[in-house]
Amino acid sequence: MTVLPQLIVSTLLLGGIYALIAVGLTLIFGVMRVVNFAHGEFLMLGMYLALFAFARLHFDPYVTLVLSLPISFAVGWASYRGVMRPIVHASHNVQVFTTVGLSIALQNLALVLWTADARFLRTDYYAVVVRIGGAAFNVAQIVAFALAVALTAGLFAFMRWSYIGKVMRATAQDRDASALMGIDTDRVYAITWAVGIACVGAAGVLLAPIYPVYPTAGLQFVLIAYVAVVLGGLGDMAGALIAALAVAAVEVAGSYTIGTAWKEVLYLLLFIGILVVRPAGLFGQRGAEALGT
Amino acid sequence: MKAVAPAAVVFVCAGLAPLVVHDAFLLDSLVLILIWGSAAAAWNVAGGYAGQISLGHSAFFGIGAYAAGLVVTRWELSPWLGLAVGALVAMAIGLVVGYLSNRLRGPYFVLATIAFSQVLLIVGSRWRGFTSGSEGIPVPFRPGFWTLGIADKRVWVWITLALAVLAYLLQLYLDRSRRGYQLVAVREDEDAALSLGVPARWLKVAAICASAALTAACGALWAQYIGFVDPFYVFSVDLSVKFALAAIIGGLGTALGPFLGAALITTVETYLRAQFGGIGTRLIGIYLIVYGCALIVMVRWVPHGLVGWIGERLRRRVTARAET
Repeated sequence: MTVLPQLIVSTLLLGGIYALIAVGLTLIFGVMRVVNFAHGEFLMLGMYLALFAFARLHFDPYVTLVLSLPISFAVGWASYRGVMRPIVHASHNVQVFTTVGLSIALQNLALVLWTADARFLRTDYYAVVVRIGGAAFNVAQIVAFALAVALTAGLFAFMRWSYIGKVMRATAQDRDASALMGIDTDRVYAITWAVGIACVGAAGVLLAPIYPVYPTAGLQFVLIAYVAVVLGGLGDMAGALIAALAVAAVEVAGSYTIGTAWKEVLYLLLFIGILVVRPAGLFGQRGAEALGT
Repeated sequence: MKAVAPAAVVFVCAGLAPLVVHDAFLLDSLVLILIWGSAAAAWNVAGGYAGQISLGHSAFFGIGAYAAGLVVTRWELSPWLGLAVGALVAMAIGLVVGYLSNRLRGPYFVLATIAFSQVLLIVGSRWRGFTSGSEGIPVPFRPGFWTLGIADKRVWVWITLALAVLAYLLQLYLDRSRRGYQLVAVREDEDAALSLGVPARWLKVAAICASAALTAACGALWAQYIGFVDPFYVFSVDLSVKFALAAIIGGLGTALGPFLGAALITTVETYLRAQFGGIGTRLIGIYLIVYGCALIVMVRWVPHGLVGWIGERLRRRVTARAET
């Protein structure tokens, strides 16, 4: 089994980036009870940011990453104020269609501005391959993985120890009680949304040197993130992290055994299977799906 | 809005239009409005009346389109047979999907339906041996009614009008019958409806089955009318959103609403394409930006759609007149 180390390494590298996308999505759901169907479009915007910063300003994507955090946070904050704020307490249907509308508008804005052509960000070190033991892997992937893990760990620390993180967790547990304790829940929602968008924007910057960039690029990644988030239990950040690795494992094993063309079917069926058998996810509370909250 | 008169006027006008109008462009728009209106009405049966918000309905549309395309190209049989096969297959799949996703609510149901349509997209675009893969299927034109090779757009108006009336009657049945009221009760509060002995589970499954069959019929006719089945179009999430958007703009859970919504978005789409299409293909996405913004604005400010809004206006006028 000489391929096994390679498969494990590939799983970890993919899983790290999926985790960063998924934790932002699950954070937003946990605190705001909104499934963000526009999550993939913010990923796509992050990818374009890295692409243009590299092409026009010659910024290395890892420099752009530092800049992308405040930029995507600001974009997130603005989109919360403009679009999300009025519907935080609205019914599911209104929330679903608002984020779906945002997704379509952003996707096609990118299409109109930057055309449907797939573009590539190729750094000098793109083709550099490192061999450790029996496994070979690409430098861009390792760096992306390391940074994604660092950002995810940073988010966990932020949620656990910072005051704002504690307030966000309190709001996630009981929004009414938090409001009664003097927490400005509107502000908490704005911060949550913006932090979630910052995570996915950063993930986009990290993915740009590895994958082609086009207006619907977000869809394939965000589908995986939905799978991870539901598998881990919607709103459960640690669950999303473990599930992201599990989904990456399924994807890698699938590409190896049945080929890349059909690997998506594998995790989509896994997804449908989870929704049918245990929609609360592996670690979620049973019955959450029936309440729909 | 339970009155039938406005709908009767709309459908009679659509039926008489081919006798007066001979402009191919207008007739083409009318056919598309009727197809998209029927598909939106079919979506409305599940999404509007039963409250089962699906963003995977393009799956059923695609099944219909592929059934018609494959029956014609592989077995050289009548597309009418393809339509029937497509509707039956969609109904069977609707039964499975509806049964399996029965306890999912809100965003969970939406996610499940999106995943389902994506599975079909992959099967449609990758299973080269059967579906011809990502190249799609060109549907041959064979003249005759039985082979649906009809060049005369007036006949197409009448065929699609029959479908639209069928979709309308199904919704009217839900507006007026005991089953329809039960379904609305399930949508509003499933637990309360269950406690009153309403068979919530089966009503939801039945609504999805009927909706799936009707959507597939729309897909089959559309494939014959356009003459080409592209997996990336017929199974796309955008198409599912289009059905939902037409129903939302017209009015969720109203019988005439989806047709009004479809008329509006088809007109806007055609206009924007004609207006900006000439400048360059990159502006083709403009109408979709309008779709997205319209969706955000409608659910926020006009939740009951055009039919609800007009109905509200009329009621206000009547009460104002009664007071003076």
